Amino acid sequence: MSPLPPYEKTTYVKTRTLKANWFLGSYRYKFNLSRTKVFLEGLKNKKILGLKCRSCNTVSFPPRLICGRCLVKPDQWVLLPETASIATGSATYDEDDKDRERPFPVIAVRQDGSDTCWVSNLPDDIDFKSIYIGMPLKVNWAEKPQGLWNDIFNYEPIPDPAVELNKKEGSHS
Amino acid sequence: MAKVQPAIVGVGYCGHAAKRSDVNMGEMVNEAINDCLKSVPSLEWKNIDCVINGNMPAFEGANMPELWMTDHIAAKNKPFMRVTTGGTTGGSIMIAAYYAVASGMYDTVLALAFEQQSCGNTTVGLASVALGEFSIFPDLGYDYDKLRRNMGAGAAIGIASYQGMNYMRRSGATEEDLARVVVQNRRNAAKTWWAHLKMPTITIEDVLDTPYISYPLRYGMVCPATDGAVAAIITTEEKAKDFADIPVYINGVGSYSNETAIVGIDCGGAGQVDPCEQLGAVKSAEVAYGQAGISFPNKEIDYAEVYSPFPNQELQWVERVGLFEPNTAPEAYKNGVTAWNGELPVNCSGGVNSTNAIGASAMERPTEAALQIMGKASNQVPKTVHTSLGHGWGGAISLITHVVMADEPQRKFK
Repeated sequence: MSPLPPYEKTTYVKTRTLKANWFLGSYRYKFNLSRTKVFLEGLKNKKILGLKCRSCNTVSFPPRLICGRCLVKPDQWVLLPETASIATGSATYDEDDKDRERPFPVIAVRQDGSDTCWVSNLPDDIDFKSIYIGMPLKVNWAEKPQGLWNDIFNYEPIPDPAVELNKKEGSHS
Repeated sequence: MAKVQPAIVGVGYCGHAAKRSDVNMGEMVNEAINDCLKSVPSLEWKNIDCVINGNMPAFEGANMPELWMTDHIAAKNKPFMRVTTGGTTGGSIMIAAYYAVASGMYDTVLALAFEQQSCGNTTVGLASVALGEFSIFPDLGYDYDKLRRNMGAGAAIGIASYQGMNYMRRSGATEEDLARVVVQNRRNAAKTWWAHLKMPTITIEDVLDTPYISYPLRYGMVCPATDGAVAAIITTEEKAKDFADIPVYINGVGSYSNETAIVGIDCGGAGQVDPCEQLGAVKSAEVAYGQAGISFPNKEIDYAEVYSPFPNQELQWVERVGLFEPNTAPEAYKNGVTAWNGELPVNCSGGVNSTNAIGASAMERPTEAALQIMGKASNQVPKTVHTSLGHGWGGAISLITHVVMADEPQRKFK
């Protein structure tokens, strides 16, 4: 890989500079987690719950405290299937189990039956370039669900019937 | 509708660079104001009624810099206001100045936007925005390793790469299309005196040869961190005729917000499943065009400056603000429609992709679009510009500002 061509720089004389530090003090960020109690309880029993707004029928997964469209508190829990699809994705560089830095896919998942999306992971051995939007996924549960976010350990791809269909017609997706 | 018709009469910049080591913040802003006043010879410091300024909070390490640099910006004993809305700070300053004049409160307003990023650490500023949100995750039982990995693809470039992924899926744009946008911007920047990354000889191959920084964006496609300042004089219609040969009338403004990014409020997830959908931009553009009496933006807008730190955003914004039909922008860039001598030139100053002094960036868009109407831009387009658009994006990844300008005052409907 070659570096980019050098850009035309203007040089400036250095003025007197004083170095200083600014440490962030502690602060209290307040948040309301009342809505997640039922949700996390559901995860413990391997159930995926979405929160539905009765006014506009929007299902949010993860649950939201307030519906932005109707300004009401959604309060109807619905059971969602274990399947999902990729809403968007990218790659991040991190160390793997052999301490080598390599790209990992990072994805936003839309659980089937919900209208919002959420960041999650794929198994480590998947190439970040092979993911595409709309790729079907299935929840991979943690070994012992404890009622935490981590109970949805990650998502694993399942066969996409659309790929076969498109092949037959001779078009690519 | 505006009570008084506001108009831009003068615009000034300081030289932008990665490190303006020769000046401090006040001196840097002063350079921009002096350049601005030079372009309006009949205006003196004392004629300015009000000063509106702003930058990103805490990005320079110094908080509330406007309070100690009052002397440098001639704001002593004058109404003075600071506006700061993240990435759109500049756009919001322009809109605030518009409101100040349009309401009939002040006659001549000095709008200022600046950023000296080399002084401080951007992370300090970002931490005050995002850290609180992220601290909730461990509370919900999200393990730290996972959090680090997922949020590592976050921040501004994270959301841009998500947008890029979706845009490429929608329109079939390739990485070569993204590189073409970068090449156009960097070559345009070489012709603009104040721009930062001037690369007159850059090619598509050069850009595609750099490593990925966040898939699908490569190192060569990413905007720099810049020191710089911009100033503009906004005044009433009557005074504008005395101050400038071709005053630029601000005919429409829009500022709309939409859903936040992927994480959402208090881990609520994102309602915007497709990050490149950008309903806020569509709405904001609609309102601004409506005020300016523009029905067919793709035909009536002669020049556009869009806020695009990353090339996929430039393609996305020109479609969302109605300049091109959906998914046709890559083809238009290929055919040279948006080039300096094309039918609809876009970002002839090099755009945010070549110069990104964050607080100032969103204001450099409308000011540069205004200069193109005045005929005073560094990289002046060969065609005559009657109507132009300046767009800004930022906030919590969702606030969008629009300023629509023309060489004639707002059309009054009876």
